[in-house]
Amino acid sequence: MGQRSSKVQITDNDRAILQLKRSKDEIHKFTRKTDQLITAERAKLKQMIKENPEKYKKDVKVRFLLKRIHYQDHLLQQAMEQLINLENLVSTLEFKLVEIQFIKGLERGNEILTKLNKEFKNVDELMDNVQEQISYQNEIDDVLAHSVVGVDNFEAELDKELEQLDREINPQPVVHMPSTDKLPELKSEPVGIPEDSSKLENDRANVEEPIIAE
Amino acid sequence: MTDPSTVLPAIYSFPPLYTRQPNAIIRRQQIASWIDLVLAYCKSQNFWCMTLEGVPVDEYNKSRISIFINSEIQRSVPQVFVEEIWSKMCEEGKAMGTETGRKDSSQYYVLWRTLDSWASLVLQWFENSGKLNQVVTIYELAQGDETADWEFHGMPEPLLAHCIKPLCQRNRATLIKDERGKPVATKVV
Repeated sequence: MGQRSSKVQITDNDRAILQLKRSKDEIHKFTRKTDQLITAERAKLKQMIKENPEKYKKDVKVRFLLKRIHYQDHLLQQAMEQLINLENLVSTLEFKLVEIQFIKGLERGNEILTKLNKEFKNVDELMDNVQEQISYQNEIDDVLAHSVVGVDNFEAELDKELEQLDREINPQPVVHMPSTDKLPELKSEPVGIPEDSSKLENDRANVEEPIIAE
Repeated sequence: MTDPSTVLPAIYSFPPLYTRQPNAIIRRQQIASWIDLVLAYCKSQNFWCMTLEGVPVDEYNKSRISIFINSEIQRSVPQVFVEEIWSKMCEEGKAMGTETGRKDSSQYYVLWRTLDSWASLVLQWFENSGKLNQVVTIYELAQGDETADWEFHGMPEPLLAHCIKPLCQRNRATLIKDERGKPVATKVV
C-alpha cells in the first residue's frame, strides 16, 4: 500500500461503470427537475383555481395544466424506476467485480498448492532414505553402546583381581573362638548367671569388633 | 432571500468598515474582518460562489443583494476595495477564481474550508461509505442522496474537482475526464 508507488489505475470496467453512473446521474437530474416542475405547476394550478373559484372546471387552461401535471408525474415514475434499475445494475456489477477477485484468489491459491504438492513428489524415496539412515544410526548406537559395556566389564574384572591380590597380601585374621573344653561344668544353681552372661557377651563383642570394622 | 445583516455579527453594521482605511495596519485588520464576514455568510447560507461584486451565485438565479452593500446603514464598499479584499482572500486560499489560470475573475468560489480540508472531508466520506476503489461521479458526490448529510453536498462540480486534486497529488485518487476534458468522476483508493 505504498502511497508513492503507483497511480490509481482506471480499468475498462471502471470506464463501463462510469458510463452507467453518468446515465444514472442524468436520470437523477431529470427526476429532480421534473419534481420541481410538478411542484411549481401544482402551485400554479391552485393559484388558478383560487382566482376562478366558480367555473374553473370548465377552464381549458386548468384542465390542460392538470393533464400536464399527470403526464409529468407519469414520466417521473418511469424515471424513478429506471433509476432503481440502474442502481441495481451498478451494485450487481460491483459485486461481480468482487467475485472476479474471489475467483482470481482461488486460482492463485490452487496454483500455489499444486506447486507445493510438486515438492512432495520424491517424498517416498525421501522417507525410505530417512528410514535407512535411522536404522544405520541405530546400528552405530548399538555398536557404541556395546563397546562401552565391554569397558564396564573390564573394570569389574580389574576390581575382582585387585581384591584377590589384596586377599593374598593381607590374609584374613583367623578368629579364635574361646573353647569350652577346659571350662568347668555348669552348676545347676542359677546363681551368678547374670554376671557370667554379661561377661560372655562383652567378650564376644570384643572379638567381633574387628570383623565389623573390616 | 436572507439579508446578510440578519445573519452576520454586529460588526457588519459598523460604518467605518465600509471605508477603505488609510492606515496599513488598520486596513489589514479591516480586510481580515471582511474576509471573516464573507466566509461566515457563505457558510451559514451554503453559498459556494460569489460574483466580483459580492452577490451570491446559486443555481436558482434568485436575485440577491451583495454582501458589500448594507442598505440598513446606507453604506457600501467601493468596488476597488472589494477587489482588494478578493485578491487577499485568494492569496490566503480562502477564495478561488472560477476561471482557473486567470487572476482576475468575475466570480469566486468562497472556501470557508481550505482545499486540503475539503479533500480530507471527501476522503472521509469515501472511507465511511465504503466507496473506495469504485468509480464515483462528481455529480454523485455533489448531488447524490448519499452525501446529503455532508458539508460538501451541493458544492459546484468544478470546485469539487479542485477539492479532489490534493488527493490525486497524494496518489489516493484519480480524476476521470470526459471527451471535453471536464472532470466527471473520481476513483479513490
